[in-house]
Amino acid sequence: MDQLIQVLIIGLANGLIFALVALGYTLVYGIIELINFAHGDVFMLGSMLAFGLIAPVASGGLGVFSITAATPVPLMVVQIVATLLICMIVMAFLNVSIERVAYRPLRHAPKLAPLISAIGMSFVLQNVGLVFGGAYQRTIEPIFPTDNLLAPLGITEIVITPAQVFVAVVTVPLLILLTWFVGRTRQGRAMRATAQDPDTAGLMGVDVNRTIALTFLIGGALAGAAGVVQILYNNYTVWNLGFRFGLNSFTAAVLGGIGNLQGAVLGALVIGEINALSDFYLSTNWTQAIVFGVLIGILVFKPTGLLGQQLADRA
Amino acid sequence: MSTLQPLALPPTLLTGTLQDSALLVKARDVTKRFGGLTAVNSVDFDIPRGSIVSLIGPNGAGKTTFFNMITGYYVPTAGSITFDDQPIVTTRGNRVRSLKPHQVTALGIGRTFQNIRLFGTMSALDNVRVGLNVHLKSHWWDSVFRSPGMLREEQAAVEECMALLKLVELDRRAETWARNLPYGDQRRLEIARALATRPKLVLLDEPTAGMNSSETRQMTDFIQRLRGELGLTVLLIEHDMRVVMGISDRVTVLDYGEVIAEGAPAEVRANPRVVEAYLGRGAAGGA
Amino acid sequence: MSSATRTIGSGPGAWLVYVGSTLAAMPGRYVAALREHRVRTLGLTLLFILIALYPVIGHYVLADFSRNVFPLPFPDDTVATFMTIFAIMAIGLNIVAGFAGLLDLGYVAFYAIGAYTAAFLASPHFGALGINLTFLGNVGPGAAGIHLPYWLVAVIAVIVVATAGALLGAPTLRLRGDYLAIVTLGFGEIVPLFFKNLSSVTFSLTLGPIAIHIANENWTGGVQGINPIDPPFLPWLNLVFDARSGPLAVYLGLFLLSLAIIVARNLERSRMGRAWGAIREDETAAEMMGVNTVRTKLLAFALGASFAGVAGSFQASYLGASTSDFFDFTISILVLIMVILGGIGNIWGAVLGAFALTYVDKTLLPYIGQRIGDVAPSLPNPAEYNFLIFGVILVLMMRFRPQGFLPSRQREAELSVGGLAEAEREIGAPLDLDNVSVAPPGQQETGHDARDVEVPGEARDL
Repeated sequence: MDQLIQVLIIGLANGLIFALVALGYTLVYGIIELINFAHGDVFMLGSMLAFGLIAPVASGGLGVFSITAATPVPLMVVQIVATLLICMIVMAFLNVSIERVAYRPLRHAPKLAPLISAIGMSFVLQNVGLVFGGAYQRTIEPIFPTDNLLAPLGITEIVITPAQVFVAVVTVPLLILLTWFVGRTRQGRAMRATAQDPDTAGLMGVDVNRTIALTFLIGGALAGAAGVVQILYNNYTVWNLGFRFGLNSFTAAVLGGIGNLQGAVLGALVIGEINALSDFYLSTNWTQAIVFGVLIGILVFKPTGLLGQQLADRA
Repeated sequence: MSTLQPLALPPTLLTGTLQDSALLVKARDVTKRFGGLTAVNSVDFDIPRGSIVSLIGPNGAGKTTFFNMITGYYVPTAGSITFDDQPIVTTRGNRVRSLKPHQVTALGIGRTFQNIRLFGTMSALDNVRVGLNVHLKSHWWDSVFRSPGMLREEQAAVEECMALLKLVELDRRAETWARNLPYGDQRRLEIARALATRPKLVLLDEPTAGMNSSETRQMTDFIQRLRGELGLTVLLIEHDMRVVMGISDRVTVLDYGEVIAEGAPAEVRANPRVVEAYLGRGAAGGA
Repeated sequence: MSSATRTIGSGPGAWLVYVGSTLAAMPGRYVAALREHRVRTLGLTLLFILIALYPVIGHYVLADFSRNVFPLPFPDDTVATFMTIFAIMAIGLNIVAGFAGLLDLGYVAFYAIGAYTAAFLASPHFGALGINLTFLGNVGPGAAGIHLPYWLVAVIAVIVVATAGALLGAPTLRLRGDYLAIVTLGFGEIVPLFFKNLSSVTFSLTLGPIAIHIANENWTGGVQGINPIDPPFLPWLNLVFDARSGPLAVYLGLFLLSLAIIVARNLERSRMGRAWGAIREDETAAEMMGVNTVRTKLLAFALGASFAGVAGSFQASYLGASTSDFFDFTISILVLIMVILGGIGNIWGAVLGAFALTYVDKTLLPYIGQRIGDVAPSLPNPAEYNFLIFGVILVLMMRFRPQGFLPSRQREAELSVGGLAEAEREIGAPLDLDNVSVAPPGQQETGHDARDVEVPGEARDL
C-alpha cells in the first residue's frame, strides 16, 4: 500500500510537469484548431537551455550558473529564478517565431497543411537539440537534498522529497496565474473570443494575429518553465525528450477535453499517474503503448474528453 | 430547352405510374429540435406519386431541415417517414432511427442543393457517374483486376450517363470540369447527377435561384418533363411564386417549423395566414 | 474518360482474352503516341529503358568505376531495391492520402506487419515454439519453423495487412482529419512496440481447472529480431533474390512495383476512384449521392495499407531479417514526404518522390558526408541530419507548393495558390440549414455522428 502511495506521489510530480506542457497544446488547439506537433520539442529545447545554464562545465553545461548541491540556498534560489525567467522568455519568443514562420502563412490552407508543417518543424527542433545536446542524455547531479520531508512527522514508508515540493512550488502558481489571465483579463477574453469565432472576434475589434501570437507566447513560456523543472527534478534531458513528453501531454490535453484548461491539468495528473503505475507495475517498455492506447480510446469513444470543451465549442 | 425535342432515355428512369393514387412519401409528426430550438414541429406531410409538390415558407421556416430529414441527413427528434411503402424514419419508444443518406438514395430519392455542391475538379460526366455508383454491382476486386463484367458495366454506365447529359443539354461539355461550367449549366448538371441515382422522387432545393425569367421558364418546363415523361415525383423548395403557382399540383407552407397551410396553389395563395407569414401582420387581405 | 469500344465477352476465358487484347493493342497505341507527342514519348521510352537497364549497369559498370576510378554517388543494389520498396509504399499511401484524402501518420505499422508476416512464415523462428511446416519452401527436409514460398507469403501479407487496416479504420475513420492523423500515429507507434516487447512473454493464469503458463516465450524476436528469413526464389532457374544476388533483387522489386502501379491505376479509373474523389471533394454531397462513405473510406484505408504489406514482406525476405528497431515513426513521415514531394494524388509522382527521396537519404547524403569528411572531418555530416533537411522541406513545401511537384490535376487545382484562392471563393457553402440561427452557434449536427462535424471550409482537406 505504501508502495502504491509512493508511486502515486511520483506520478503526481511528473503529472504537474505534463500539465505545463499540456496547457500549451490545449491553448493552441483551442484557438486555431492546430495540433502543435512541435510543442513537445519546444519543451525539450527549454530543458536543453536550462541544462546549459545550470550545469557546471564539468557536467557538460555552459557553466553560467553552475548550480550544484553545494551551492548556498539563497544564491541557488536567485539562480533558479533567473533560469526560469530566461528559459520562459526565450521559449516564449521561440514559439511565437515558429507560429509566424510555419503556421500563420497557412491559416487559410487546407486543414492538414499546418499539421504537416508542424511535423516538419518538430523534426527541425529535434535536430537543433541534437546539435546542441548531442546524441546521448545530458545529466546533472541532483541539486536538492534527498531527505524525506515527512520524516519529522514520523512517516518513513512514504517519501516526499524537496525536489517534488519544488515541482509543485513552480507549477501550481503558474497554473493559477494562467487561469486568472485567461479568465479575467482583457487579453484572456480576446483569446476566448478568438477561439469561439475568429471572424466575429476580428469584427469586434480583436487583433486576431496578436491574440494568436500571445497564445503561442504563453504556451512557449510554460514549456520553458517545464523544461527547467524537468532538469531540476528529473535531472536529465535528451534530444528526443519532446516526443515522449509531447505524447503524454497531448494525450492529457485530449483526455481532459481539448480546449479546456482545467481539463488539461486534470488530464495531465491522470496521465502522470498512469505513467508511474505502468512504469512500476508493468515495465517502462509498455508505458508508451498504454498512453497511446488511452489516446486512441478517448478519441474513439469520448472525443470531448472528461470535462468537455470550454475555450471553443468545436468538436 | 424546347419541349418539342423528343426524348431518348434509358427505360430505367421511367418509374411509377401516374394512375397510382397511393402516396409516395408519408411523413407523420416529424419534429426536429437542435438543443433548445425547434426547427420543425410535428409536421405531417404527404407526397402523392407523380405529383409536383412545393414546400414554401419564409427563411428559417424549416424547409431545408425537412428536406434533410427525408434524405436521412438529419435524424428527426420524433416522427416517422415512409417512402414508397418502405420506412426511412421509425420511432420505437423514445428512439428514433433513420436510414443513412446513401441508403435513402438507394431507395430512390435524389436531390439537388441550394448552394450548388458539385464535385468541382471532376468532369461533368464523372459527376454524373458518381450518382450512378449506387446502382453499380461491381466490387472492389473487379476494379483491381478490371474484370470483363466490370468493363461491361462501366460501358453501359457511361452510355446511361451520357444520355442524362444529353437530356440536360450538357453532352458537349461532358469532359469539362464542373467548376468551370457557367452557373446555369452547373444547376442542370446537378439535376443530371441526381437523376443518375435512378430516383423515384427528386428533391429540388431552389432550382431557379439566380435565374432570369427565360431561364426560369426553361427550368419549369424541364421540371414538368421530369414528371410528364420520366414519371418522377418532384418535391420543390421554391421562393419564386410564379414557379410555385405555375407548376405545383400542391403547395405546403411552413412557418416557424409548422404547417400553416396546405392545398392547391390558388387556395394557399389566398390564405391570410400565408400572406401574413410572408409580408407581416397588416398585409393580410392583400394578394 | 474514354471507354473501350470493343465487345467484351463473358466467362472465365474472357479476362484472359481482355488481357491478351490489351497487350496486343499496345504496340499500336505506342506508335500513335509517337506520332502525337514525339518528343515526350521518346523521352519516356528512353527513361524506361534506362530504368530497366540500371540494375545491371549499376551493379557491374558503376560499381567498378566507383571502386577503381572515382567514387560516384550511384545507388547500389541495396539502395535500388529499397527505392522500389519505398515506391510501392508511396503508391499505397497515395491511395489513402492522395486519392481519398485521409492523412495516415502511422503507415509504418502496416509495413511492420508485412515484414513480420514474412518473418513468421519463412524462417526457423517458430521452430523454437514447436511449429514446423514447410510448403513449397526452398529449404531442406525437416527444417524447423514455417517455410512458405515468397509469393504465398506476399499474398498472405496482403490479406493480413488489409484486415489490420480494416480493423483500425472501422472505429476511427469517422474522426476528423487531424484526429484521425493522431490516431493513426498512435497505431504506428503501438504496433512496432508490440513486436519489440513480445520477445519475452511471461504470462500465468489459473482459473479453476484452466491453467495457462507461458514462460519467457519469444513470440516476435524483439530487438534482436527474427533471422534468417528465406529469400524469394525461383525454383526452375534456381535463382535467389536476396541481398547478395546483385541486380536480381532489384528486378524483382521493379516487377512488384509494376504490379503495384497497375493495381493502383485500375483502382483510380474505376468506380472506387471516382467515389474517393467525390468524398475528398465534398463528403456530404457524396453521401447524398448514394456513396457509402464509411465503406469507401475503409476500402481506401485497407487497400492502401496492403501495398505496405507487400513492401514489408519483400523487404524482410530480401534482407533476410526483421528487427523492431527498424520500424519507427520516421518511416511513416518519410513515405509521407515522398507522396507530398512527388505530387499528391498522382501515382507517378509518388514513385518519383520515392525514388528521389530514397536516393537522397541513402546514397546522396552519405556520399556528401563522406566527401566532406575526407576534406574537413570536423564539419557536421549531413547524413546524420537528414531529418533536419526533411523537416525544412516539409515546412517549405506546405508554404510554397503543398501539391507537390507532379500532382494530379485535381489536387493541383485544389491546393495550388490559384487553386486555394478558388477554394476560398467556393467555401461558404454552409450546411443546409435554413438559417444559421436554427442551430446553436458553433454547433452543427449531421444527425449521425457529431464527431464528423462538417464546418464550413473544412470540406476541403488535404
